[in-house]
Amino acid sequence: MENLLDISFIIESFPTILSRLPITIGIAVGSMVISLFIGLATALIKIYKVPVLSVITSIYVSFIRGTPLLVQIYLVFYGIPKVIYYLQIEYGVLLSADVNSISPEMYALMAFSINLGAYLSETIRSAIESVDRGQFEAAKAIGMSPVQMMTKIIFPQALTVAIPNLGNMFISTIKDTSLVFIIGVVDVMGQAKILGSRGLAFFEVYIAVSIVYWILCIVVERLLVRLEKRARRYERGIA
Amino acid sequence: MIKLENIHKYYDSQHVLKGIDLNIHEGEVVSILGPSGSGKSTLLRCINFLEQPTSGTVELDSKKVNAESAGKSEVLALRTATGMVFQQYNLFKNLTVLQNVMVGLTSVKQLKKEQAKETSLEILEKVGLSNRLDHYPAQLSGGQQQRVGIARAMALNPKVLLFDEPTSSLDPELVDGVLATIKSVAEEGKTMLIVTHELQFAREISDRVVFMEDGLIVEEGMPDQMFNYAKMERTNQFLKRSKRSEE
Repeated sequence: MENLLDISFIIESFPTILSRLPITIGIAVGSMVISLFIGLATALIKIYKVPVLSVITSIYVSFIRGTPLLVQIYLVFYGIPKVIYYLQIEYGVLLSADVNSISPEMYALMAFSINLGAYLSETIRSAIESVDRGQFEAAKAIGMSPVQMMTKIIFPQALTVAIPNLGNMFISTIKDTSLVFIIGVVDVMGQAKILGSRGLAFFEVYIAVSIVYWILCIVVERLLVRLEKRARRYERGIA
Repeated sequence: MIKLENIHKYYDSQHVLKGIDLNIHEGEVVSILGPSGSGKSTLLRCINFLEQPTSGTVELDSKKVNAESAGKSEVLALRTATGMVFQQYNLFKNLTVLQNVMVGLTSVKQLKKEQAKETSLEILEKVGLSNRLDHYPAQLSGGQQQRVGIARAMALNPKVLLFDEPTSSLDPELVDGVLATIKSVAEEGKTMLIVTHELQFAREISDRVVFMEDGLIVEEGMPDQMFNYAKMERTNQFLKRSKRSEE
């Protein structure tokens, strides 16, 4: 009798696939953290209309939104070593950087940070702008510096507003990391492909890997709900 | 102590303040009355540069700031020397009652936490909110929020308190509590400048009443004199009509 699925192959492939989970999570979490800084910096550049930089920011955001992530990953992977090499030869800078020692994981992290940073830029900008003007005025009126005002009053409130959006982007990023296999990173997807071609059981390994992503995303969603509740605790009125 | 000279404010082509001169002495309580759109709030906000005056000078404690050349440190000095109470309270939503009062002391004055807390507790006691220290603004009534607003403004021990229609967004039954709090602060001898629509209150609390219309000070004087025998017909009209509506 012909079997639709080799269930035992699916089960056996789990441990090997899961051993690559740290790579997937590492790239997703790492790029999320880095891109928060990129997003914040570019959002502030836009809000304060910093000359020159705000034009560069607009082009950056527009380019990232207008090109496929896959292409961006290739650009980073093939472009950055070339640029570094060129700078070393022509200008004698960055000599301590050894192009060959940069791992594919590092390129993946860079590509995802650059990509996500552009998307977060808009999210963070609109979140900051959604904070009530009175909050800015009250902070100024007691004599806070712009930095104090932002860090103590505005960012915490903006972050609360942005959490649902940031969460959705984080979940998308987790799933998008499945693209990194193309530059040689063996993440859960990469491991699944390897297993699949070894056992000629592609359907089975893709079922296994989709279950891994699915559960991971469910767990993250749960955590996000909790985080949002915690962040919004000050909004709950007496009701 | 505060001296405003020839303050002008334009929003684009709209001339909102048309040359205001005003002197306020130490310990004096001055109310600014006038119809909506007369520029009362704008004038108040020009004193701490929440609105930058287009021209004119603001002098506080013999330090003169010229609107056209005001630097960051000058503006900062004005802001720390004044405390402002807003119509919409504008309490920091992400901070508790205690933190709202403390944050200026710890961040702007850079006091130690214990010291800031001690001062803040004292002030919150005065406005009667010692039992709400860990509440967030959203968990308070409007009246309570505004009393925290007053406490926050007082925390930095400013030379002068600026009240921008402090009771205008309150439910009628909450107004009295806030007015009583303002009164108790006035009785301590704080210098205060109050923009308000509460005429009876202005009459009771003020040493001087200023009547504004159309970006100008029309008339000023002692409260009883203003309410009973205002010189200008327009002032009379305004105060009379408002009196009638209060009855």
